[in-house]
Amino acid sequence: MEKSFENALSELEAIVKELESGNVELDDAINKYTEAMQLVKFCNEKLNSATKKVNEILTMDNELKEFDVEKES
Amino acid sequence: MEDSKYLKISEINSYIKSLLDHDGFLNKVYLKGEISNFKNHTTGHLYFSLKDDSSRINAVMFSRDALNLTFKPEDGMNVLVEGRISAYPAQGSYQVYVEKMEVDGLGILYIEYEKLKKRLAAEGLFNPEAKKSIPRFPEKIGVVTASTGAAVRDIMSTIKRRYPICEVILFPSLVQGKEAAPNIVNQIKRADEFGVDTIIVGRGGGSIEDLWAFNEEIVARAIYECKTPIISAVGHEIDWTIADFVADLRAPTPTGAAEMAVPTILDINNILDNLKIRLNKNIKNMINTKFITLRSLKNNFVLKNPRAMYEVKMQKFSSLVENLSNDLQKILLKKQTDFEKLGESYILKNPLSLIDNKKSKYDLLVNTLKLVNPLNILDKGYSLVKVDNKLIKSSKDLKLKDEINIKFSEGEIKAIVKEINNG
Repeated sequence: MEKSFENALSELEAIVKELESGNVELDDAINKYTEAMQLVKFCNEKLNSATKKVNEILTMDNELKEFDVEKES
Repeated sequence: MEDSKYLKISEINSYIKSLLDHDGFLNKVYLKGEISNFKNHTTGHLYFSLKDDSSRINAVMFSRDALNLTFKPEDGMNVLVEGRISAYPAQGSYQVYVEKMEVDGLGILYIEYEKLKKRLAAEGLFNPEAKKSIPRFPEKIGVVTASTGAAVRDIMSTIKRRYPICEVILFPSLVQGKEAAPNIVNQIKRADEFGVDTIIVGRGGGSIEDLWAFNEEIVARAIYECKTPIISAVGHEIDWTIADFVADLRAPTPTGAAEMAVPTILDINNILDNLKIRLNKNIKNMINTKFITLRSLKNNFVLKNPRAMYEVKMQKFSSLVENLSNDLQKILLKKQTDFEKLGESYILKNPLSLIDNKKSKYDLLVNTLKLVNPLNILDKGYSLVKVDNKLIKSSKDLKLKDEINIKFSEGEIKAIVKEINNG
């Protein structure tokens, strides 16, 4: 399963905090930095490439239909 | 007469009554209060008190007015009454003569609300530790509200504006009237089972009766039991329903709920940018620090003057070599002295003395040998007598006519024993 945005961001935050704690060896830090930059890229892509989702309505027949809020209201 | 200034009780009570009866305001009053000490007299008249938190007033409703009542009054009931204030001279009391009375609906609802709130609070339904946290970056949001009206429009448009990558699914529900509460309960369950990250439950503003479904116990329990985090958004900022107390998060309005449910893309970009800046700054700092350490190491005296490192060793080495050659010379010198001493010894200087010594020893030995040679005795005139080469020392060893050999210093003879004299 693809990593969720929330998980990616949490991981990213954790890495930044760890690096800021200063308790990381340089080699390890560089690996973590690389990983973090990949997470940044992943998050950016997920944010920017995500297509706008349409609003939907779950009918009583358990059918998911597009829901145009302006038309309905 | 002195007595004339004293009034009878009935006179003062009548006077008071006439004052009250002639007051235009007291002739028509609208009061609201809670019924207490209610008595339904056999005559059909109703006697009771009306009270609020700090005060009370006696009330009477005559049977002809009581006949028009649409409900059965009882203690504790909140009512709205219309009537007049007058005195009852016989008792010296004033009271409200109730002409019309109806239930104060809000009051009843309020009591029910307070009772339920107290009960559910005691049961722990509002406990902060029971509240689930709202996902920061939801991908699907369920909305339980009416499919028409401002609420659904506000929620959906706010989410679309802030966070268009989020899917919004409406679970349409009645939000007022008798069917609203069970309907809301059902749709919360459906949303929970459908699988969304967050559920928004609510409706737009209205009267307390309009919002009442959200004060129903079944709705409160459905919210409490829902596994998905719920944001409540009922009415306006000032309306606090039971649902609001149970929900994991309470929003003041439907728009507010949408804002709480999703971040804005801008926020996230800021968060990401901020994280990126912190990352870069951190790694740069780290590398810089290492560089500084490295530089200071490089400038270290030993590394800068590598010869210094072995110069010391060289010094030590050469001093060792020096010591060693000194020692060696000392040893050689000693050996040489010893040798020279040997060369000067008596023996080596007079080697013939060794031979001299041996010769005199030899001569001495020869002389000694000469001295002990038995034959030397013969030189002095003695002779040796032997028989069969055996030396004879006594005449007893001889018999007559034995042939004996006599050896002299020079030459020897054979003789025969003629006489033996063992003397």
